Amino acid sequence: MTGATLGALRESRWGKWAVAGPPLLYLVVFFAIPTLIMVAASFRSPGEFGGLAPFVGDDGRLDLTLESYVRLAEDTVYLEVFLKSVVYALVTTLACLVLAYPLAALIAQSPKKYRDLMLLLVILPFWSNFLIRVYAWMIILGPNAALAKAVNGVLAVFGVEPVPLLFSSFAVLVCLVYVHLPFMVLPLYANLEKHDRALLDAAQDLGASAWQRFWRITFPLSLPGVYAGAALVFIPALGIFAIPDILGGPNDSLIGNLIKQQFLETRDWPFGSVLSIVLTVAALALAGLAAWVGRRGAEEIARA
Amino acid sequence: MDKRAFAASLVALAAFALPAAAADKLHLYNWNNYIAPETIKRFEAECKCEVVQTYYSDNEELLAKLAAGAKGYDILVPTGNAVEALIKGGQLQPLDKAKLPNVGNVDPAYLNTSFDPGNRFSVPYAMSTTILGYNDAKMKELGLPTNTWAAIFDPKLLEKVKGRVTVLDSASELFAAALIHLGYSANDTDEKRWRQAADLIKKAKPYWAAFNASSYIKELTVGNIWLVHGYSNDIFQANLDAQAAGRPFRIVQGMPKEGAVLAVDSMVIHKSAPRPDLAHKFINFMLEGRNSAELTNLIGSGNPNLAAAQYIKPELKALPAVFPPKDVAARLEQLKELTPAQRRLRNKLWTEIKASR
Repeated sequence: MTGATLGALRESRWGKWAVAGPPLLYLVVFFAIPTLIMVAASFRSPGEFGGLAPFVGDDGRLDLTLESYVRLAEDTVYLEVFLKSVVYALVTTLACLVLAYPLAALIAQSPKKYRDLMLLLVILPFWSNFLIRVYAWMIILGPNAALAKAVNGVLAVFGVEPVPLLFSSFAVLVCLVYVHLPFMVLPLYANLEKHDRALLDAAQDLGASAWQRFWRITFPLSLPGVYAGAALVFIPALGIFAIPDILGGPNDSLIGNLIKQQFLETRDWPFGSVLSIVLTVAALALAGLAAWVGRRGAEEIARA
Repeated sequence: MDKRAFAASLVALAAFALPAAAADKLHLYNWNNYIAPETIKRFEAECKCEVVQTYYSDNEELLAKLAAGAKGYDILVPTGNAVEALIKGGQLQPLDKAKLPNVGNVDPAYLNTSFDPGNRFSVPYAMSTTILGYNDAKMKELGLPTNTWAAIFDPKLLEKVKGRVTVLDSASELFAAALIHLGYSANDTDEKRWRQAADLIKKAKPYWAAFNASSYIKELTVGNIWLVHGYSNDIFQANLDAQAAGRPFRIVQGMPKEGAVLAVDSMVIHKSAPRPDLAHKFINFMLEGRNSAELTNLIGSGNPNLAAAQYIKPELKALPAVFPPKDVAARLEQLKELTPAQRRLRNKLWTEIKASR
């Protein structure tokens, strides 16, 4: 479609709906409705054999209760699991940022003809299934693999007891970073690639050191990319359950595992819904916070 | 290709595709690797139908899917307590015994259970026990016992195998093992005893490498893990794999002397079954001794079918965890369903266990 026809479409009201309608409908059907079902389920009781208790009970009373919310509030253990998940997600986000930034900068500064290839390499892992890649880490981190032998060999030199790499928080974090790294690289690259070289040249002419040029110019300008990448990493990392299930040790149960347990082993949909709502609200709040900080940052730059 | 040739080839394609699409289909919702491929082939030849299998990896997955309204399955193969949940939830249709003459092959000890008196809905298919599995070379070298739950719960014994032990990532199985170790019934629902079991688990937890229900077979096979709490057929499989890979050790089943959980999986027909006629044919077919024995020989599952005994490999019959002798069988318990309130309480204790340091 050419720009002109798009513009004409945008002008007519019908055209607007024709363009915005399908994605809007998709979001309502596949995001809003399930969320509302979840909210409704959170005020019900679990059914005797799974699902929900009948809405109208044998005694004619409606099944509406705050019990699941009370349960969440009266015990700190759920908050503990939740905080632990936040810590894991934060560490993952920071590690991804530290690893992705130089990589994204390198790609953005490379000659155009290599960039596509480099981006392709970043997204190459997506060509194989997520679970297969997680299982591959089991082999890499296993006690008889080269990595564990090398690490423990070095530790032995310093007289430190050998440490298991597999089934540990370390394994969970390494894999979380591995899986989410491309989600940080791509938005950072998209941002860094648009930077105007002339600004850096001007700064250099005015005597700014390499560090000053990065910290005063490149980094502030890249903040929108940082926030976008952080949200793309933090939110999925917060709810993940497969990685701790497969690679985690006995202390690595996270909020995602807890929610999965409610829907499977415990057959407690209402409490599972409550936990999911808390997770969704927390993710939305943090995304909102990131957007707000991002906007303020942009305004400050505009003022300066 | 010109248009006419294209149309002709479409017609030809349809001609090939139609008979296959119209063939009779039996939808079997089963555990992974829980029927021998040659058994399926023979059934397909006999009923002139096609068996379409989908898989689940635990009862909870099956129950969750059906509770969410999944339809179109003819046969399910859930474990006792899940059968109970399905019967009480009105998810099953009664069996027509006139179409199942082979029910007589089943050992009466496994019929007429408390959750399905008179076997109105379910017929036993195969079974397993939840026991210990261990690397015989390592356990002998360390001089540790392998016939007691103390092996995975007693910190004094665990000290020597720290980080080399996994337990099932299942609250029902682990609480059952802990309750048995404490001298109670696996089905005890007394809150005080549950808390005692939770404390026992918390004290042993620092010595375990992981709660693991998915990869302990492989970890045993390669020698990373030396002692597990797991299912008898998984441990049997781990040994087959270890021998096939030429490992210098064997993976052996350890039946705890205090008792263990017995899981009997039964064939049932879902209420929405599109083909109850084929489902009955399938159940009767699987109750034939030879067909039932093929599964046992393939995966080392226990077999409640008396007519199957003559076809089963003798080395399997000698395993007490697979074919428990009378004194062992007397100490095996099938898990019962919990009420929603009990499930909530146990999940709270389980969460505390998982979050404890």
